[in-house]
Amino acid sequence: MTMTLVEKILARKAGKKFVKPDEIVEVSVDRAMIHDALGAHTIARFRELGMEKVWDPARIVVVVDHYVPNKDIDTAKKCLNIKKFVVEQDIENYYEVGKGGIAHQVLVEKGHVLPGTILVGVDSHTTTSGVVGAFATGIGVDEMAAVFKTGRLWERVPGTIRINIEGKLVPPIMSKDLMLLVLKKLGVSGALFKSLQYTGTTIRQMSMAGRMVLTNMAIESGATNGIIEPDQKLVDFLKGRTTQPFELVRSDQDAEYTETLEFHADDIKEPLVAVPPKPSNAVGVTEVGGTRIDQAFIGSCTNGRLEDLRIAAKILKDRKVDKLTKVIVIPASQEVLKAALEEGLISIFVEAGAVVGPPTCGPCMEAHMGILGPGEVCISTANRNFQGRVGDTTARIYLASPATVAASALKGKISDPREFF
Amino acid sequence: MELKGRVWKFGKDVDTDELFAGRFIMGGDETSQSQYQEFIAKSGLSDVEQRENVPGDFLTNVTKGDIIVAQENFGIGSSRQQAAETLKYKGVRAVVADSIHRIFFRNFWNLGCPAIDLPGISSEFKTGHEILINLRQGTIKNLSTGKEFEFRLIIPTWFIDMVEAGGLIPYHKSLKA
Ligand code: SF4
Repeated sequence: MTMTLVEKILARKAGKKFVKPDEIVEVSVDRAMIHDALGAHTIARFRELGMEKVWDPARIVVVVDHYVPNKDIDTAKKCLNIKKFVVEQDIENYYEVGKGGIAHQVLVEKGHVLPGTILVGVDSHTTTSGVVGAFATGIGVDEMAAVFKTGRLWERVPGTIRINIEGKLVPPIMSKDLMLLVLKKLGVSGALFKSLQYTGTTIRQMSMAGRMVLTNMAIESGATNGIIEPDQKLVDFLKGRTTQPFELVRSDQDAEYTETLEFHADDIKEPLVAVPPKPSNAVGVTEVGGTRIDQAFIGSCTNGRLEDLRIAAKILKDRKVDKLTKVIVIPASQEVLKAALEEGLISIFVEAGAVVGPPTCGPCMEAHMGILGPGEVCISTANRNFQGRVGDTTARIYLASPATVAASALKGKISDPREFF
Repeated sequence: MELKGRVWKFGKDVDTDELFAGRFIMGGDETSQSQYQEFIAKSGLSDVEQRENVPGDFLTNVTKGDIIVAQENFGIGSSRQQAAETLKYKGVRAVVADSIHRIFFRNFWNLGCPAIDLPGISSEFKTGHEILINLRQGTIKNLSTGKEFEFRLIIPTWFIDMVEAGGLIPYHKSLKA
């Protein structure tokens, strides 16, 4: 009886020898994350349970990330409630404004998620941490309150869809372009109650940052989680980020996949752009090239990492962004910001005429900054382009790679980054 | 456990940002249940007149006990529980859909409201039909057409007890007692 990586993790954590797709299991949770957007609600529900102490404060990570720094009284009040809870429960892993960044980035970068473990977060993009070979998924606040009480979670074992990708991505084609292609194939409901496991030579060559785009956007296909088998690159990445021991869990050689989808890097003939209102609406950049934009956003838990900023800076260096376009660059974490500063990337952005924000979610959703007005058009490196996602329902959001967004920022219209490469 | 109600027919891919817009996420005082519920109820589906997948008169005419029957992929998107809460506090008792996104599915059940996925079911219902759901038997009946359908849910064994207790939080409280 063989199992895929995700089945193995769920079996172990359920104390079972074997699990199969669509079986219901109850597992122990290794890490639980709340952030500022839903943390106060989680805490209120936890208190409603009549509980005084969480099951294990050392397993909880609390991150302030959506509203950095706080934007209004409501936000400040909720964040105060969260901080009170952190102090009262003795939670060590707390990332206040200026200490962390976007939760999904912080969880990986600070070594909070290890191979073979289970992470839950009150956020759908918790799937991002699957990059370390963990089962990472999102839940709502009532469920998180129950996890805070019991340290346990039920799960419907997802069948695994294997996304196998071969070949070499040639810059400025990035992992984002690849993910938009995968989503075009799967659609926004192609993987409901399934897991996406990414395999193949393209993944092995890819940086951790590039891989995180794939696990991050797994949720956009409706998947329960996204996951990548651990390899030496991951082990090297985790060095210095954790002192905890971990085990590299892998799929069995002859594991049964629900389905295998084959892709080749050469399938991507040109950079892709997902047209509104679905992340699965990818078209070649030339098809929508010339579409006038009002805003260009580089950042988010999908594409706010150092290599994203590097490629954007390469395109923006010694050039000026379009006069009428708001260009917003937001590093995903303090660590990314510091590295970008040291490499001189931030001054490139500023000189080009972009505004650089503090590590936060930014105009990825209608939360804090960069909200779109009626009819505005934004090209964004984030993950969702639903109608009304970042403001007015008549605004339109195109999703693309940092390279494509940077090129578009220069021209004030959707543009092909190959022109600047 | 039986649920009987009037049907509202929704389209496909109703997403969480549509059910509950991001700008309201930090609103509502979560420490005061009545204030919070009122806020969540009134803030949901705020841009409904610009949406094609929700009936235009849903907000004005939805009443307690109504049941949504939707096409595929209901509740896609964010983990914001407000997307499920707003339907509950507007009076929606259950959601039946061709398919339902995992997080919304869990959130809605956790509030004590069944979410039932059954491929093809949406084509059997229109807004205004009467629906009868028997949770333990696993049947859905369209009382307006007389047709009956069977479903098999993939849920924990204690889930229907949880719904009967009023949701996950009351269920946990009852366990403690
Ligand atoms: S960057 Fe966007 S998708 Fe990521 S956690 Fe923040 S709001 Fe959610």
